[in-house]
Amino acid sequence: MANGEAILEARGLVIKFNLRGRALTAIRGASLDLYEGETLAIVGESGSGKSVLTKSLIGMLDRNGWVDSGSAMFEGRDLARIKDERDWLGVRGKKISMVFQDPMTALNPLLTIGAQIREVFELHHGLSGKKADYAVIEMLERVGIDNPEERRRQYPHEFSGGMRQRVVIAIAVACKPRILICDEPTTALDVTIQAQILGLIKALQRDLSFTTVYITHDLGVVANVADRVAVMYAGRIVETGLAEEVFYDSRHPYTWALLSSLPQLGVKGKPLYSISGTPPNLFNEIRGDAFAPRNPKALKVDFVAEPPEFAVSPTHRASTWLLDPRAPRIEPPPAILAMRAKLGGSSTGAAGGRL
Amino acid sequence: MLKYTVRRLLQSLVTLLIVVSAVFLLMRLLPIEGYFGDGYDKLSESQREAVLQKMGLLDPWYAQLGSFYAGLLRGDLGASTIYRQDVPVLQVIAPRIPYSMRFGLVAIAIALVAGLAMGVSMAKHKGRAMDKLWTGYVVFVNAVPLAVYLLFIQLYMTELLGLPLLFDKYRPSSWILPALSMSLGSIAGYAMWMRRYMVDELNKDYIRLAMAKGLPRSTIMVRHVMRNAYVPMAQYLPASILMTISGSIYIESLYSIPGMGGLLVDVIQRQDNPMVQGLVLIFSSIGIVGLFLGDLLMALFDPRIKLAKSEASR
Repeated sequence: MANGEAILEARGLVIKFNLRGRALTAIRGASLDLYEGETLAIVGESGSGKSVLTKSLIGMLDRNGWVDSGSAMFEGRDLARIKDERDWLGVRGKKISMVFQDPMTALNPLLTIGAQIREVFELHHGLSGKKADYAVIEMLERVGIDNPEERRRQYPHEFSGGMRQRVVIAIAVACKPRILICDEPTTALDVTIQAQILGLIKALQRDLSFTTVYITHDLGVVANVADRVAVMYAGRIVETGLAEEVFYDSRHPYTWALLSSLPQLGVKGKPLYSISGTPPNLFNEIRGDAFAPRNPKALKVDFVAEPPEFAVSPTHRASTWLLDPRAPRIEPPPAILAMRAKLGGSSTGAAGGRL
Repeated sequence: MLKYTVRRLLQSLVTLLIVVSAVFLLMRLLPIEGYFGDGYDKLSESQREAVLQKMGLLDPWYAQLGSFYAGLLRGDLGASTIYRQDVPVLQVIAPRIPYSMRFGLVAIAIALVAGLAMGVSMAKHKGRAMDKLWTGYVVFVNAVPLAVYLLFIQLYMTELLGLPLLFDKYRPSSWILPALSMSLGSIAGYAMWMRRYMVDELNKDYIRLAMAKGLPRSTIMVRHVMRNAYVPMAQYLPASILMTISGSIYIESLYSIPGMGGLLVDVIQRQDNPMVQGLVLIFSSIGIVGLFLGDLLMALFDPRIKLAKSEASR
């Protein structure tokens, strides 16, 4: 699926926030490509900048935030340069739309479900009257809501959490977007509902052929849906590659640490792995590799110079000095090696280019 | 919906009963000397007793309360005992009702328009100059005793704008300042609550979704934020009606308006029990009707309330 054209190319995005007069750099030069029809998962711990990065693509940064430099080319336009709120209206909700984390609060409690979906058809497709009604009913049917003719007249409080998330998804795809950003779409839902929602998004993606971006820290979701994975740490994308490359042949120490903390990799009777320390303070200038202070096997150079991006394969890149030819050979932690062995991936890490 | 309405109506009646009975009994606790004004010393013991007997004040309190409610059921509020002796209470009050009501309604209308607009502009420009300016106004109105600024308005505005100092029912220009004065407090109240609720709504998740849909900011403001902010606002409508009325007690005497507010102060001081009871009944009815309407409005605006079986949803 990831063999399509790049429809969005972000280069060196720097996003800053003004917090009580001090500038915080939330995104420190992130580059990312999105391909037609693919599913990309952006993973990373809280505060790594996943949400900020995607919010900047639809012009929904909080008021005190701004894109400082870099570019994000989409359909011949640089999204990073859009300043005027009116210019965003042609993109946001029309070409790029978004599904939020908590369906319980995402809908307006005082408007009927139908009215809230209808808004999109009226706004972006110029439908009205009966035509808009039919579009709403069809959309509700499409996201798997029974009895849409009646249900559209109901209010959000008459819907369960999973049903509400379906409505939110209906709203997001009603405009026939090219890119759908899902910000932790299943975190607030029951585990049984989660799979249904992921399945629904997949099915809609197939029918409407849009590109999906998941923001999540649930690696289970990633394994389930993603074609490609981007790992974020401290406002930078430290590793990106096809899902199997990132899971079975990861190169960045942070990705190793992240994967090691998967509960499935834990050994019964032993405490689960957790990454020690805390992410760096983004108010300060970060020197070298931002993850170095938390990385027990960090090299000297990690504290001094920022690692450049190395290509592991045409689709797999990582920013770590370990990939420099001069670097000493450092094996991934045992948990990662065990996982690779168990899942039949390469345990040597040498066959990275294999697709 | 009907059940909800009937329930609330019955509750309102009970509240009214309690308020009126409480005021009735409190009036009976006042010293009896008060009923005679300056004439207390001039009357003999037996003359005084005759006066009290005539007012029915020598009966036990429950008998007095009983006969008051018996009269009320027949639509009889009794006759004034002191203010205008032997004239039926309703007859004294009736000509004054239109003045108070008219001023009250005009003031509320002004307050609604100005207050809501002020609140909306504060929410829209939150944290900026416009917000701070209007916040200054709200703080001023709430912090400075109303007697002070109302007096200043009467003294200086009349001169500045060439408006009459006292109310005169034949001069329309004499309506302006009292009505404006009455609305000042409510304007501040509306503005403050509207700002607060709009800011609350603006921070909610569904506003983010509305933005993500690509709706223009103005549409979000009108369709989502303002509409939803009106729901809790509806609760404050009755409070503002009460405020307008209580404000009017002072304003009516300031501008010599022949309304009910000034009258109430007068008859309490002179211990004219039937008059006080009658006026309190009217004032509390207005307040309770206001509260009731507020609840109904909320239920109309908010689809979640109709389903509520108890008050839990409030």
